[in-house]
Amino acid sequence: MPELPKRKVGLVSCSGEEMAEGTVTRLATLKVLESLRPDETVTICLPLFLAGGEGDRAFARFYPTIAIDGCEKRCAARGTEMYSSKPVAGIVVNELCPAGAGELGTARRLNEAGMAAVNAVAAEIARHVDRLLGTRRDRSRDEYTVGGPAVKEKVPGVATCSCGSGIPVKVLEIDGRKVEILALPLILEMFRQAAKPAVDATAAEMLETVRLYNRIPEGEEALWKLALGREYASYCAEVR
Amino acid sequence: MKRKALIIPCSGIGKTYGSVAREGAYIVTEDLRPKSTQLVPLALVVLGDQEVQQTLAGSPAIAIDGCKLACAAKVVAESGGTVAHALQVLDVYRRHRELKPAGIAELNAAGQQLAKALADEVSGLVDGIAAEETSA
Repeated sequence: MPELPKRKVGLVSCSGEEMAEGTVTRLATLKVLESLRPDETVTICLPLFLAGGEGDRAFARFYPTIAIDGCEKRCAARGTEMYSSKPVAGIVVNELCPAGAGELGTARRLNEAGMAAVNAVAAEIARHVDRLLGTRRDRSRDEYTVGGPAVKEKVPGVATCSCGSGIPVKVLEIDGRKVEILALPLILEMFRQAAKPAVDATAAEMLETVRLYNRIPEGEEALWKLALGREYASYCAEVR
Repeated sequence: MKRKALIIPCSGIGKTYGSVAREGAYIVTEDLRPKSTQLVPLALVVLGDQEVQQTLAGSPAIAIDGCKLACAAKVVAESGGTVAHALQVLDVYRRHRELKPAGIAELNAAGQQLAKALADEVSGLVDGIAAEETSA
């Protein structure tokens, strides 16, 4: 059965190569991806919004995204908004950890103050991740809860990126408009493999699954349900 | 005055080859050819920063990419820059299979050596560009 990506928070770091603050963004993002919140976060390289395909540009529409920038130029925040969607949160290193020239080390090698900035920025990213996912961490037990039973923190892993993996989308016509629906190809196949009949109740269930990955404008639920029901009936007929 | 070669590594954050690209770019621009090269942050190119676009328009670029998606080469070309050379870290690794890189935040010793091998190749290309400009 196809697996839908779990709801995660996207991290986009500027990685600015010419300044220490850029290196801070990169290392802080990696720290969150590798050890602080490995199961709850995913990343993509900022340039892929321009160099990649539609699936890559859907990244910030699919994941609530935090932009991590080194300086006030805010390349990650502005680039993400320009090519994908507006990040839900932003962190700027030289605002969070103001430092004079050279105080954090160099872009190539951070010093002790630079590494302290990495830890501070990583903690701030993790705080945003918890807020966005509605998780609460119980530091005394090194566990956190996700609206249910406590989950043990995983062993730190290796960060991986979503570069090139893309997010499947399908365009439906809803109320005379072309609407790009994230993850719909996977959802259609998941429902078909579960042998769900193409009936009204299935369309209602599909609407709720689609809602996890897409913003449905207020008052349009019935139109979306109708379009999804039609699409699912057509999909099942084609596959059969 | 001779133009500097622009060294533009990808911002690869989720793959070790991205870190090799970044480290290799630092070795070229800080250690090996500091006077004849300039490091350009790819994020500024993505954003269409005016100053960076002017720089791109006036100088040859060497793009260093960590994966086959070739973000650096593509973005520089789309932004009106001249990609004089496009390198893939994986190709350099194929020529130095004994240097298997590991780690992203911190490269292992082999990764550092691979970055140096990459930087040596880039330096050769920088010298080639300089020689062409001198003879032109």
